[in-house]
Amino acid sequence: MTRERALILVALLAILGALAWSAWPHEATAAERVDRITSELRCVTCQGLSVKDSPAASARQMRDLVVQRVAEGRTDEEIRGEFRAAYGDWVLLSPPTSSWTGLIWLVPLAALAAGLAIVIRRMRAAVPSAAVPSPHELAALRERVAHEEALDLPQADGAE
Amino acid sequence: MGSPKRPRRSGTDPMPRWLRYSIVVGIAALVVVLMLSFRRDPHDIRTGTVNKPAAAFTADRLDGTGTLSLSDYAGKVVVLNFFASWCPPCKEENPALVRVWERYRTSDVVFIGIVYEDATDKARAYVNTNGVTWPTVRDDDGRIAFAYGVFGPPETYFIGPDGIIAGRHIGPVDEATLVASIDKLRAQASR
Repeated sequence: MTRERALILVALLAILGALAWSAWPHEATAAERVDRITSELRCVTCQGLSVKDSPAASARQMRDLVVQRVAEGRTDEEIRGEFRAAYGDWVLLSPPTSSWTGLIWLVPLAALAAGLAIVIRRMRAAVPSAAVPSPHELAALRERVAHEEALDLPQADGAE
Repeated sequence: MGSPKRPRRSGTDPMPRWLRYSIVVGIAALVVVLMLSFRRDPHDIRTGTVNKPAAAFTADRLDGTGTLSLSDYAGKVVVLNFFASWCPPCKEENPALVRVWERYRTSDVVFIGIVYEDATDKARAYVNTNGVTWPTVRDDDGRIAFAYGVFGPPETYFIGPDGIIAGRHIGPVDEATLVASIDKLRAQASR
């Protein structure tokens, strides 16, 4: 094995090791939990911003409340549930799949299915069909050939 | 002899019947949803905390004379008003609140003002200059507002003698809405 190959192998192993380390499940710290929960909660006085990303005073207060609840030992679901009880599912940036608003997740799938159906239909329609002529059409074609032969028309260019 | 067929467009088949019906049903459903949405009063949002028990709280009085607890007013009709000195719609609704408060202040109706994201000195000045004589409390950490699901001032909640939030008004409230909501709760209580 050459030195270059050994270096490439070591680099690949290092990358794989780093990927495995990052993907390995580990218990989230309190700060990570606060970040995760606040990134899922909508700032109630902002336009489309999460509590984590908003500089608004109300977002800061919501973050403080989340910090306190995490310190009290509440689960993520309990903390989210506290805000949902007051603001409904609206306060979650991603609608939960467990409630009826979760049906909204089906909309892109339905749109994709409808789009695929239309594309497949158009592609099928665009392919020229090699349809077998009906007996009536076949008879007409034979009659036309016989007629042209009887007329002894000149053959196409290049033919002898 | 059959009737002449309509010529087909080249390269495409006619839309199947099920697809046409699906599109018509989809558009009809959309129209119905939009019609129902437009009929709703945007000030009256019956979600979140409405029809649920009012969240208990104890907070510092704005005038510095101790604390106030919602439980002190159990069995009464409570009008909870979130306001701030920096909020123009709050000033807009304030005369109606003052008039209705004067009308009911000797009865079983209680008004409680809750300061929303405001400096204490500014809130005190607002209260003193706008004739707010009902009890007001501070909510410096926003916990009361979060418990009630407040989006921003002004918001008014109507709590029945049973402790259940019967209604919620988002935006400046007028005298007629205040009186109607209070009288409805008082009538329920007297039954």
